[in-house]
Amino acid sequence: MKITKILNAVMMTAAITFGGGAVYAQQSGGSLVFLVQPEPPTMAGYVSTSGPIGLLGPKIYDGLFDYDNDGKMIPVLAESVDMSEDGKTVTFNLRKGVTWHDGEPFTSADVQFTIMDVLKKVHPRGPNSFKEVSSIDTPDAHTVVLNLDNPAPYMLRALSAYESPMVPKHLLEGEDIKSAKLANNPVGTGPFKFTEWKKGQYIRLDKNESYWKEGRPYIDRIVGRFIPDASTRASAMEKGEVLYAAYNAVSNVEAVRLNKEKDNISITTDGYSMINPMALIEFNTKEGPFTDAVVRRAISTAIDRQFMLDTIFFGYGNPATSALSSNFAATGLHAKMPHYPANGDVAAANKMLDDAGYKKDSDGVRMKAMFDLIPYGEDWKRGGQYIQQVLGEIGIQVELRYEDVPTWLKRIYHNYDFEMNLNYFYQLADPVLGVHRHYGTNMIRKGTHFVNSSRYSNAGLDALLGAGMKEPNAESRSAIYLEIQNILARDMPVVNLFELEFLTVYNTKLKGAYGSAMGAYSSFGDAYLEE
Amino acid sequence: MNRPNKILHYVARRLMQGIPIILAIVVMNFFLLNLAEGDAVDVLAGEAGSATPEYMEKMRAKFGLDQPLPVQLAVYLKNVVQLDLGYSFRHEMPVHELIFDRFGATLLLMTSTIIIAVGFGILLGLLAAVNLNTWKDALISVFALITYATPLFWVGLMMIIVFSIKNDWFPTSGMENSAAFYEGFDRVKDIAHHLVLPTITLSLFYLALYTRMMRASMLEQYGQDYVVTARAKGLSERRITFVHVLRNALLPVVTMAGVQVGALIGGSVIVESVFAWPGLGMLAFESLFARDLNLLLGIFLLSSVLVVAVNLVVDVIYCILDPRIEVN
Repeated sequence: MKITKILNAVMMTAAITFGGGAVYAQQSGGSLVFLVQPEPPTMAGYVSTSGPIGLLGPKIYDGLFDYDNDGKMIPVLAESVDMSEDGKTVTFNLRKGVTWHDGEPFTSADVQFTIMDVLKKVHPRGPNSFKEVSSIDTPDAHTVVLNLDNPAPYMLRALSAYESPMVPKHLLEGEDIKSAKLANNPVGTGPFKFTEWKKGQYIRLDKNESYWKEGRPYIDRIVGRFIPDASTRASAMEKGEVLYAAYNAVSNVEAVRLNKEKDNISITTDGYSMINPMALIEFNTKEGPFTDAVVRRAISTAIDRQFMLDTIFFGYGNPATSALSSNFAATGLHAKMPHYPANGDVAAANKMLDDAGYKKDSDGVRMKAMFDLIPYGEDWKRGGQYIQQVLGEIGIQVELRYEDVPTWLKRIYHNYDFEMNLNYFYQLADPVLGVHRHYGTNMIRKGTHFVNSSRYSNAGLDALLGAGMKEPNAESRSAIYLEIQNILARDMPVVNLFELEFLTVYNTKLKGAYGSAMGAYSSFGDAYLEE
Repeated sequence: MNRPNKILHYVARRLMQGIPIILAIVVMNFFLLNLAEGDAVDVLAGEAGSATPEYMEKMRAKFGLDQPLPVQLAVYLKNVVQLDLGYSFRHEMPVHELIFDRFGATLLLMTSTIIIAVGFGILLGLLAAVNLNTWKDALISVFALITYATPLFWVGLMMIIVFSIKNDWFPTSGMENSAAFYEGFDRVKDIAHHLVLPTITLSLFYLALYTRMMRASMLEQYGQDYVVTARAKGLSERRITFVHVLRNALLPVVTMAGVQVGALIGGSVIVESVFAWPGLGMLAFESLFARDLNLLLGIFLLSSVLVVAVNLVVDVIYCILDPRIEVN
């Protein structure tokens, strides 16, 4: 399997660079002000994958690769990657002549340090992404050899600047990485340098004049503005004070209105395929009314996913059809499963519960439960209200509970003091990275957020997850994941609702910012403003 | 003792009394805030997407959150006595830096609001009282009632729509133009330009309050015996109003303004949120949801110190406005 020289990707970039140049005249200069919501706590993208950090970090730090909208790898700090026959040795050939913003050269030692001492140790997802990496050799300053215990094909999907930013060894070595000064004074190799952070107002980044890519970036300055009020964010977009807003920083209702009313404002759902957000309900499978899989299947059957999407999320999204997102279909890892109707079937759900012996009392109630809602805004409250209504129709009376973020996190992931919980998870670029954490027995971790809160444990499934992780052959891998999806459609510790589509709202004078699958979490090195 | 000396003595004693009050406030705030479920580590880890329990334990140990509450309180009090407000682990910055970063913006908004609200409030109240039961009085009263009853956030949003989007007169939000980054005098002009809408929005609410208060207070004073005496003495109505009645009528307004300066220092979450004004109110609001208790306690401490100080200043102003009021 010695082949993976990413020539196609190089060609692709070349096409974007030169081909694009022939048609449009990229203009240099200008300030790009965009919305960052909410204000991030720090800029340490190597410690936290929090959304607002993702909006800024990749402008400052580069990854080894980026991904285009078809999922092809675009070389960034690595010019190419080779994988050995057995998949256990991965070699990166690094770009030469790259320097950090403070002038120090970027070398293989930085990559080694980043992966072994930062990502594998303190990054929230890094320990999974680089789980199999046992050691790293640096034969010369521009070659990095990763030695793996087992093949880890998914690792190559986690090399973007957002997921695995490359950080400077000379500024972090010997420091406590989580509290190092770098968190508030980032120094990367990316197209923009950190200049100033006015708390409560903005973060300002200025052009990196010695960026490795000739003629880039085009834009002189990027400013991430913080505006707490949603209506004001929409007004600032409408007025042209900000030019770009991703991850629903401008709400769907306003985005659709602006797109319709203003000639210079457009919307897109591109740029989220590597994030892959999935709305879902987590059930407590250990205690309470939902220990029986039949009830969970009935709930999945009753919910009208398309209705929820159309009425609450303006139609942006697709009904879930399995435990895995249909975005994995490209790699053959997705299959449509039973009990995942797009349009709910209340009669069938009632019959399932009747057959299982759950009798309705004189008020038509079979069981009562508390329903927790993710405290991330009004849309989720409305979603909860719809589900409350439809569950009433099948004799499950639920009461809604909406708390603040810390209380909710503690309840679901530490105290397990819940019965069902509306939530969404990022399934990321591969099931190993985003989905395994939800179902594996080893992911029942008290106090760790966004893992297996259902406390569902199935030795058969664990074995399949383990096999899926290591299987290098695409066909065998898709067979394994078919079996996984079958088990999860039967047991349903989690009911997936729909694949969310976030909206990016942008002013049409901003061009060239849409070539990366990472969307808003990309570098904006190729973006330019057309005045 | 002569009068200035007496006042100084009084101020010193009140300051001494203020210290235990402030300490009591700190202790109460500490326990109240710790009643909330979840801590800063939960929030940070939740935002990060995922974190191992070992990592979270390490963070708790680093933040000192693994200690029993009384120990945490003792450490905090020890720091406060040494004028050290502690460290915000969320922002990776000392609390006093974070607060003073935002204090300027709050002070600017607060001062301009108080000046406009108290100034125009006194003026309108006076006008209404002098023109009692005429159309002017009715107009002012209706205006005060409407502005007092309208929710702030709605006024703010309407201001943005009317004066920023429909008419391009003012920027929608923020404290300065973050595309241009002006310097020197241009920056002052730019900030003043950004200050207009939030100030008007916040002032309208308080303006109504002062107008109504001033009007009532004037009317009350008009009924006093000394006004009758003054009239009997043959003073002009003008002189009675401006020299005698006005001065006495100001007392309750000053009291009210004093109380509100304290409240305004805490910032106005709504106006700051609508106009993205980087004041202390939003900082406090955000730190509550982030369970950044050190920062929150720091803001509360600052507010309580200022409330104590402002109350003292108001008492002293009393003596100056009304020589009959004795300090003791």
